[in-house]
Amino acid sequence: MKTLRRFFARLGGLATKQAQEERLKEEIAEHIALQTEENLRAGLPPVEARRQAMLKFGGVEAMKQDYRAARGLPMIEDFLQDLRFSIRSLNRTPGLTAFVVMTLALGIGITSGTFSMVDAMIFRPYPVPHPGNVVTLVGTTHDSGFDDFSYREYLDIRDKTKSYDGVIANTTIEEVGFSAEPNATPRIRGGMMVSGNYFRVLGVEPRLGRSFRDDEDQVPGRDAVVVLGPDFWRREFASDPGVLGRTVRLNGKNFTVIGVAPETFPGMMIFYHPDLYMPLAMASVFSTDPQKNFFEDRDDRELALRARLKAGTTLRLAQNELAVLAQNFEREYPKVSHGRGAAVHTQFQMRTRSDDVNWKFGVIFNVLALSVLLVACTNVAGLLLSRARARTREIAVRLAIGSGRFRLIRLLLTESLILALLGGLGGAAVGYGVTMWFQSKQNIVFMTDLPAAIPFQMNTRVLMACLALSFLSAFACGLAPALQSTRTDLLNGLKSAEVDRPGRKRLWGRNALVVAQVSTSLMLLTASFLMFRGFQRTLIEGTGFAKDHLLMTSFDPRLMQYNAAQTKQFYKLLPERLRQASGVESVALMQSVPLGLDEFDLGNVTFVPEGFQMPRDSETFSSALNMVDEGYFETMKIPILHGRGFRESDTADAPLVAVVNEHFARHYWPNSDAVGKHIRLDSAAGTQVEIVGISQSVKYVNTFAPPTDLVHMLLVQHPMARMALMVRSSGDPLEMVQPLKDVVRTLDVNMPMLHTMTYEDYYLNKAVKGPGIATELASSMGIAGLLLAIAGLYGVVTFNVSRRTREIGIRIALGAKSSDVVRLVMGKGLVLVATGTGIGLAMGFGVERLINSMLFNAGGVDVVAYAVVVPSLLLVTILAAYVPARRASRIAPTQALRYE
Amino acid sequence: MLSVGNQNEGETLILMKQKAEVLQGTLALMVLKTLDVLGPLHGYGIARRIEQISGDLLAVNQGTLYPVLLKLEQEGAIASEWGASENNRRARFYRLTREGRKQLEAETKDWEQTQAIIGRFFEVKAEDLS
Repeated sequence: MKTLRRFFARLGGLATKQAQEERLKEEIAEHIALQTEENLRAGLPPVEARRQAMLKFGGVEAMKQDYRAARGLPMIEDFLQDLRFSIRSLNRTPGLTAFVVMTLALGIGITSGTFSMVDAMIFRPYPVPHPGNVVTLVGTTHDSGFDDFSYREYLDIRDKTKSYDGVIANTTIEEVGFSAEPNATPRIRGGMMVSGNYFRVLGVEPRLGRSFRDDEDQVPGRDAVVVLGPDFWRREFASDPGVLGRTVRLNGKNFTVIGVAPETFPGMMIFYHPDLYMPLAMASVFSTDPQKNFFEDRDDRELALRARLKAGTTLRLAQNELAVLAQNFEREYPKVSHGRGAAVHTQFQMRTRSDDVNWKFGVIFNVLALSVLLVACTNVAGLLLSRARARTREIAVRLAIGSGRFRLIRLLLTESLILALLGGLGGAAVGYGVTMWFQSKQNIVFMTDLPAAIPFQMNTRVLMACLALSFLSAFACGLAPALQSTRTDLLNGLKSAEVDRPGRKRLWGRNALVVAQVSTSLMLLTASFLMFRGFQRTLIEGTGFAKDHLLMTSFDPRLMQYNAAQTKQFYKLLPERLRQASGVESVALMQSVPLGLDEFDLGNVTFVPEGFQMPRDSETFSSALNMVDEGYFETMKIPILHGRGFRESDTADAPLVAVVNEHFARHYWPNSDAVGKHIRLDSAAGTQVEIVGISQSVKYVNTFAPPTDLVHMLLVQHPMARMALMVRSSGDPLEMVQPLKDVVRTLDVNMPMLHTMTYEDYYLNKAVKGPGIATELASSMGIAGLLLAIAGLYGVVTFNVSRRTREIGIRIALGAKSSDVVRLVMGKGLVLVATGTGIGLAMGFGVERLINSMLFNAGGVDVVAYAVVVPSLLLVTILAAYVPARRASRIAPTQALRYE
Repeated sequence: MLSVGNQNEGETLILMKQKAEVLQGTLALMVLKTLDVLGPLHGYGIARRIEQISGDLLAVNQGTLYPVLLKLEQEGAIASEWGASENNRRARFYRLTREGRKQLEAETKDWEQTQAIIGRFFEVKAEDLS
């Protein structure tokens, strides 16, 4: 209490310093005056009376010092003093200050900009209250750790677990045919089906109206209600509150708008922000698997499950509970649940799942950016070191008149802190620029009109990181110079502004800095070049299919409430009529176009190869699946290596056939011919499918993924609703858009065409421009690192020259040739560059392995990359050393000898 | 050799510091008691009074009183305001606050207890313990 009161009084003392000082002065004067009078009364002569009074009072200055120390807070006062002094001294060298601040801003900005990426993809909590206890439940199989659940499984998990305050389910419906008026042609909007308790369990209060009631999820097809996403409400309804109670049409069915989600809740996913939320009970209206009954079939697994952990429950308890439940499923429903487990994951575990590539990019970029910051810091450290050297005499004087070394170090650190904080401020601006740059790539990353956004922003967490980085860099680049410069030899320091004790110890630090710079920027360049080459190589390698003269579009007859027979008829007539149009060479229908929107576009098939010795721990295999029609291989120009492709004779009633890719064939029949072999679907007792052909393996998901197994099956034998159409034209594919529209109109006037574009455009975005963003980012970091390293090396050599000006003058006076001088000055720089290159090469190999393991899996060492990067680095760094060396060789001896 | 000397110097410094702290504590108590007995006083008056009673404790370095006064004021034990001194000049007068009175009482009690205990120890003779 007493201490606290005193603290506040002292804090106040900081502000009222001036008044208090006056008061003390007056009190002292009065004290001495009174004592003098007293002495006079005792009979002392006036002068002696005053002298005695002052003697008795004691040392005034020492007392004042005590008084001041007790009055304010000396730590803070010192700091403020340091601050003022630093600002003044930085002001004296504005050029240097600006350079240092810009260098740090670049480093901090790039780092925090890329951190915004990692933040959005890994760290940002769910936009709900108490996001920490929201966990994700996943199914596990022998080849997937992140499987979904079926509706029946969801009900069991929801009702039989005790660890949670509610379990919620959702499934993304990427395409919903939406029309505000009953007769308008539907437009495509993004939706999400959720369980009735979704908003309640997440703790999200609607901004307008209400969210779903639990009972709205009980009866299939009864409650046609919809909650709007906040953005969608703003865009589509101009934030009209009268939207409540209105009827809108979703996939041709009337829904009543009951609420609007709040602005603070864009959705639970990183990129995808749903426009519409519908209850799960309306599943029949939306794109669920038509082969299965969503509400009954335990193997119709389309639901992602999340749950809110009860207070006091641990993840482990929940995990055990769910594992037991999964075992029960296995026992009770061996046919559909065999070999399936379940797991509970935190948000962090979900965000850093091993099968996701986005966050890995984020992490790699952040590591690279940190290296840029490191180079920037070493650069600044070098500059501060040179600056401290120039201040040797000032520092020596301060030490000589009794300043403590610690106090001096604090002063110097305050200086670098100011620099770093200014740099951090600039860094926030640069970081903002980086996030804006990311935003500008929106159209390339998302080629559709899906409600998706790049969520990288400079939020509080990123700004905090920015601040932390500033402090870190203040220490990183300020401590070494501060320590070294306060270790001055006083005697010499006072005599001359430029001292160097004999021996090389002093320079060791600076040399290490240059080596660190060269090696780090070599590593950065290697990384960016490897990334560039990696993508380039995948492009040169080719994709294995044709990309030109193709027009693509997609259909989903479920948007028009087609039944299975109508759908079948539509997909039968559409290619038939199109083939008759002029300019059409061939037509194909496929479940997923090559390099499809994402890997989930492809289907999945569970099978048992006949006559194959199954490993003990599994009874089925699974593979990616693409449902295609008989025009697929011809239209995409994917060669059939062996056997045959699909034919018109493979009808719905004919024996089931499949074409597998080469990778698949080699995988299961390495020593024999796969053609003529059979696989059985789902289990060893399942339907038999004959493999009739082997197609060449091509790129399916993205250009840099390793080759995978793929099975093609026939659309007529396994009908599907959502299909992509590819039209091969003899001329410009864009000219086919109108004929295509006309044909579609003859079949159904209102049928929407989704994502219509030439395949070449699609490919450019997906395979060239998208990865180009990554390469651009990596190479700009590499170049930033290189520029900084050049500046650093140039600075060090220049500094060495200025330090040895007199020596060089003497050498020239004694007859040294200019080439000798160049060799002398450059020699040191070259040794540094060589050392740095050696270390950088080692680091480069490390990064290459990192990139290979995370992204490309190219394997081996990319010799070309090093053959390009290393010599160019050597060239520019040698140049950076040569320029000042050349200047040194022109030093006029008369001038140099007078130089101080 | 040099380092031994430095070490001694350091020890002396620490001792001096400790002694000063004890002195400050004693001085603070004296200030409180003085103000309690005599009512509001200016700095010189307090110094004189302490000098009269304690002899040479404040005979030199009367200035050391002022940091103590400041500390007491910051703690709220005393308050100060400008007033007129005997010769009608402006002087800073210090007075005891209620807080200070409480503090003085507590310290007095402490002191008496300590004194009693120590006193008893000094009175003890060898045979009393056997």
